Amino acid sequence: MNQDIENAVIMAISKQKGLDPSGIGPGSALSELGVNSLDAISIMYDIEDRFDIEVPNEMLADLESVRDIVDKLSTLIAARA
Amino acid sequence: MVITGLGAISALGHTTGQFWYALSQGHTGFRTLSCLPTDRLRVAIGAEVPDYRPEDFFTPQDLPLLDRFSQFALIAAREAVRDSGLDDAAIHAAAAVVGTGCGAKGTDEETYQQLYQQGKVRVHPLTIPKGMPSAAASQLSLQLGITGPVFSVASACASAAHAISMAMTMIRSGMVSVVITGGTDAPFTYGLMKSWEALRVLSTDTCRPFSVDRSGLVLGEGAGIVVLESLDHAQRRGASIHAELAGCGMSADAGHITNPSSDGASRTMLSALEDAALSPSEVDYVNAHGTGTLANDVMETRALRAVFKEHADRLLVSATKSMHGHSLGAAGAHELIATVLALKNGIVPPTANFTAAGEGCDLDYVPNQSRKTSLHVALSSSFAFGGLNAVLAVRSWRG
Repeated sequence: MNQDIENAVIMAISKQKGLDPSGIGPGSALSELGVNSLDAISIMYDIEDRFDIEVPNEMLADLESVRDIVDKLSTLIAARA
Repeated sequence: MVITGLGAISALGHTTGQFWYALSQGHTGFRTLSCLPTDRLRVAIGAEVPDYRPEDFFTPQDLPLLDRFSQFALIAAREAVRDSGLDDAAIHAAAAVVGTGCGAKGTDEETYQQLYQQGKVRVHPLTIPKGMPSAAASQLSLQLGITGPVFSVASACASAAHAISMAMTMIRSGMVSVVITGGTDAPFTYGLMKSWEALRVLSTDTCRPFSVDRSGLVLGEGAGIVVLESLDHAQRRGASIHAELAGCGMSADAGHITNPSSDGASRTMLSALEDAALSPSEVDYVNAHGTGTLANDVMETRALRAVFKEHADRLLVSATKSMHGHSLGAAGAHELIATVLALKNGIVPPTANFTAAGEGCDLDYVPNQSRKTSLHVALSSSFAFGGLNAVLAVRSWRG
């Protein structure tokens, strides 16, 4: 499941920023990928649709890497299950 | 005050060159709409921008923030700025005033369809910045690097003419030396077409302004943007000047929400002439509001007779909406550009689709074929629903 989430996050970032997904990994810093707060909410919109979840606003704080997003989403999706 | 840059995207093409070529040839840009399903529309024709693919003009990263009305404004603004030869510092210090009659209706309707029809519970996070009525003005600032006063103006079909009048006032006041101004609209959405149908002013075949068998207007889309500049600023940088914007007039009817008033129209034309220090007999050409509706064309003819008196019989009057359609918030800018190029080229674009003069329509409407003649002064008129009027006076530049 975590791999699914990681792939979805990478694809959403790739689409939002026009980046090659092969250059994005779990350790990639969001700031280095140029992901700003408006990008973050657009990426979350894609993820919410993909997994049918609702990401609370507070989850968007303190996100520094792709792994941070994947970890928080995993918790959310596990709680839903 | 002078016009040093022109940009137009319309049913007649993606550039000002294509726009002017079609106008001078009397070509009409109406077609069956391809940008939305037409099976439930009673009126399925419009002046749609042909062969338009947003991805030819914008990156995939920019597009989620750009409603169609913002896209058109940017395309026309890029052309106008390129044409003006302004450098980055001048653009940075400039203002932008953009008229729109409809704003981002496409974004609104797409969002509501998802919520109300598809039952979705969330909408795209960029819906607000993409859909706000000032989005096109903001995008001009962001993408061109304009940091002076930037805002939107809304007055239905006179939006662009009011925007350009505001721009003129700002330059006169000394607030700024350069304004990138005009109007934009993208009205081809299902809800908006249905709303226009309900008003019973849309023609089902074509637009024949001032003709006996005129059957209404044909909606259009696109944007017209001009670079307006103080003469001093333009001359100091050695700019190439298209024409002088000599004056503007604005007024309101305080009458009926849709029925136009000939008194309001004539007061606005007189106000523009006074502002430009012109006498009516100096005017060679009027680019009319000329929508092709029963009400407008008689009212406008009466107003022209009231303003120009015996000179009205020597005046050339044409309605270019018969070719680029009624592009609503962009119309005043499309028509100003047509007027500027008429003066510059000594060619009056015709009233296309003209058959025979309608009752109460007894002026020289330059039917069907453009006319080559020497022109010095012209007016461009916009008389909007709600009784909001703006007229621009233009003088040819012989500098």
